Amino acid sequence: MTVDIHFDSSWQDDFLHKIDHDGPWGNWELFKLAIDIEKQLVIPEFEGLQAPKHLPNLTPLPHQLETAKQVIENMNGKAILADEVGLGKTIEAGLILKEYMIRGLVKKVLILVPASLVTQWAQELNNKFYIPAITQRKSYVWEQADVVVSSIDTAKRNPHRDIIYQQNYDLIIIDEAHKLKNNKTKNYEFVQNLKKKFCLLLTATPIQNRIEEIFNLVSLLKPGHLGSQTAFYEKYKRDARSLNGDEHLKELVNKVMIRNRRADTGIEWTKRHVETIPIEFSPSEKELYDAINDLKSAGDWIQASSFSVMTLQREACSSREAVFYTLKNMLQKHENPTQAYEDQIAFLIKKVEAVQTNSKAEKALELIQQMNDKVIIFTEYRATQLYLQWFLKQHGISSVPFRGGFKRGKKDWMRQLFQNNMQVLIATEAGGEGINLQFCHHIINFDLPWNPMRLEQRIGRIHRLGQEQDVKIYNFAIKNTVEEHILKLLYEKIDLFEKVIGELDDILTKLEFGNLEDHLIDIFGKSRSEGEMRIKMENLSSMIEFAQNMKEEGNSRAAAGNS
Amino acid sequence: MQQQEIHNFLLKYFQANECPIIENHSGHLTVQLTIELDKELMNRPFYWHYLERTGGIPNPMKLTLITDKNTAPEKLRGEIIHFGSPRLHQIFESTKNLSKYIRLYEHHPNGSRQTPLYPWLCMNVKISYQCDRKRDIYKSIGLQLINGRMVEDFHDQLLKIPLTPKIPDYSFTLSPLVKPISGMKRIENYLRMAIEEEDHSWADEARKRWEKDLQLLDHFYEDTEEENESYLIEKQALKEQYEPKINISFINGGLFYLTERAI
Repeated sequence: MTVDIHFDSSWQDDFLHKIDHDGPWGNWELFKLAIDIEKQLVIPEFEGLQAPKHLPNLTPLPHQLETAKQVIENMNGKAILADEVGLGKTIEAGLILKEYMIRGLVKKVLILVPASLVTQWAQELNNKFYIPAITQRKSYVWEQADVVVSSIDTAKRNPHRDIIYQQNYDLIIIDEAHKLKNNKTKNYEFVQNLKKKFCLLLTATPIQNRIEEIFNLVSLLKPGHLGSQTAFYEKYKRDARSLNGDEHLKELVNKVMIRNRRADTGIEWTKRHVETIPIEFSPSEKELYDAINDLKSAGDWIQASSFSVMTLQREACSSREAVFYTLKNMLQKHENPTQAYEDQIAFLIKKVEAVQTNSKAEKALELIQQMNDKVIIFTEYRATQLYLQWFLKQHGISSVPFRGGFKRGKKDWMRQLFQNNMQVLIATEAGGEGINLQFCHHIINFDLPWNPMRLEQRIGRIHRLGQEQDVKIYNFAIKNTVEEHILKLLYEKIDLFEKVIGELDDILTKLEFGNLEDHLIDIFGKSRSEGEMRIKMENLSSMIEFAQNMKEEGNSRAAAGNS
Repeated sequence: MQQQEIHNFLLKYFQANECPIIENHSGHLTVQLTIELDKELMNRPFYWHYLERTGGIPNPMKLTLITDKNTAPEKLRGEIIHFGSPRLHQIFESTKNLSKYIRLYEHHPNGSRQTPLYPWLCMNVKISYQCDRKRDIYKSIGLQLINGRMVEDFHDQLLKIPLTPKIPDYSFTLSPLVKPISGMKRIENYLRMAIEEEDHSWADEARKRWEKDLQLLDHFYEDTEEENESYLIEKQALKEQYEPKINISFINGGLFYLTERAI
């Protein structure tokens, strides 16, 4: 079979015109230089990476170079980059993008990342890779700039959406791609309809997902790789977590996915020191907590689920402000509250008002003053965040708040303020994702998330490549509360903190019982007695241990076959 | 390209463009740009537009380029240049743009003897083999426009011949029997024939990859009844990703008038 040969004849007319008009002619020195340059710039081989030659100030790690090579040479430029948190997926994506640009295979690029990361991505591409990436600020950017970084939420809205659909992208990069696990969302549909030649999906948590989510992610990248939807679900149960159970499926997924693990990279990582700090409630705090706990046996006054009670309990372990905020919402949302319901809430609000101090906040203050170093405080609740900021200010400590809802510019500004001027950054959960803060090496977990992966992401903000010191993590837990149970069960029993990342999501996928959080809500919310609760917890933690053992055995077996 | 090569290249580029060299040390270079080169490199169209409208005195910029941080003075302010730096690639582009077409004569030592000069058409091209990957090669072809002789590596042979933009005394050019336009056609045909002789297993491989992905795609959408828009988009994208093609693009070229035995 022959190949189409295209001969660029546009220059012929110009040439003939110059002959007719006797010039103007070029300079011989420049003519010779042009040929010298071209000899330097032609790339005679299909294989190999040119990018490192163009990036003298970047020293990519061996696993990053290997990944870039794999994606280009063996995966045809369509891949899920699924390294564990902190191994430099951005560098890998940058190398691949640079390589394609140098070789002239890619010109038009769309990079979709969480809003908090837009500026960071553009900066890294410009500074580390000399790629003129532009952050999207005006709608005409889509057409005019070749490399655009934007948040998916902006891109999917009109007028942007329509303009983007007119563009022919050579490469699309999507960071935090696990958010596209559901194929019924607007985001998914938006990405599916983009015109893309090459595509990179970046995610740190691909296999914590259910099999359905894997299917959706792969189908976005390479439709049909895992078969059609009907065929796939005939073979695999929709909610199964049996990715590891099925060797064939695993192999298929590995054809489009690269996952480097910390342990395999041979890089020396700084250590994690974890300290659990048990804290006693003050009497009035304890009264509030107990009052909430009593709700469980208070009969059906709250149609509202055990879930609300759980939430209130967890909030009581964080701050009275968090409890108050939820109570107020409960009152407002209820359309026809009964007298009893209103009374009950009013009663709790009284208990809230009786609380005058926050034991955790005092402990935090003490720690911050002692360590005299930069520290990030994570809390799940915005009300707690606001309170803490006020509380620290009272004691002469300025802090910056950080949360997911901030506009991009504000996030960058807050990060910079923290780096240059302030000792403390107080972040809520949503703020934990994506931002890199490796110049700091202390974390206080003011309260704990119930999903261990979220906790891993918190720690991953500072414990990543570039962190030069050991990382210190302080976990606050109030004695004799649901919080202490969680800490013991989830985090101490399975040694979560000292574990290397990646082992954890392996373990969680081995547990074929659905969502961990659902189990916890069941245990703490629906148990009718302390005894029942204890038994259920024992159950859960032995399952986790079992999975862990399975993994260890699996490791020794798979060591040979896993390449 | 080593840093030293880059330095030499930059120096030659500015000299060829008649920019006064203010400083030239092993690790850095400062040049006074000419008006033309300021417009070419500094990207300040508003300044030049304003100046031309108001008739002010043009003040082209000085440019300091650092090719070796270690030997350049510590406090020197300038742009650090390496193989990947955008400035260098801009200058690469500029070099190519400024020298696309040329006409030169052999500066022969024949004294006052009347010497005929034979016309040669030179085409320097880049041939790119592209599918989801890409490689390219450079070729320099010369065609004598009297007897139709075709020569490869023409540029390298030209480097051995002294050349001048003005026709030397006591020399005259022979009129081409082959017109430049058909000369170009001959070179094109020559290149096409040579390429068709080559081994194109790379293209076959690419087509196999394409076919495989296409089958997967068909399978994925087999349950959908009507013509699905995403299906068509994906299908087109696969074509763009894999379809093998060869592009012959032009680097530069021109007319050279050489003595009979020069090549």
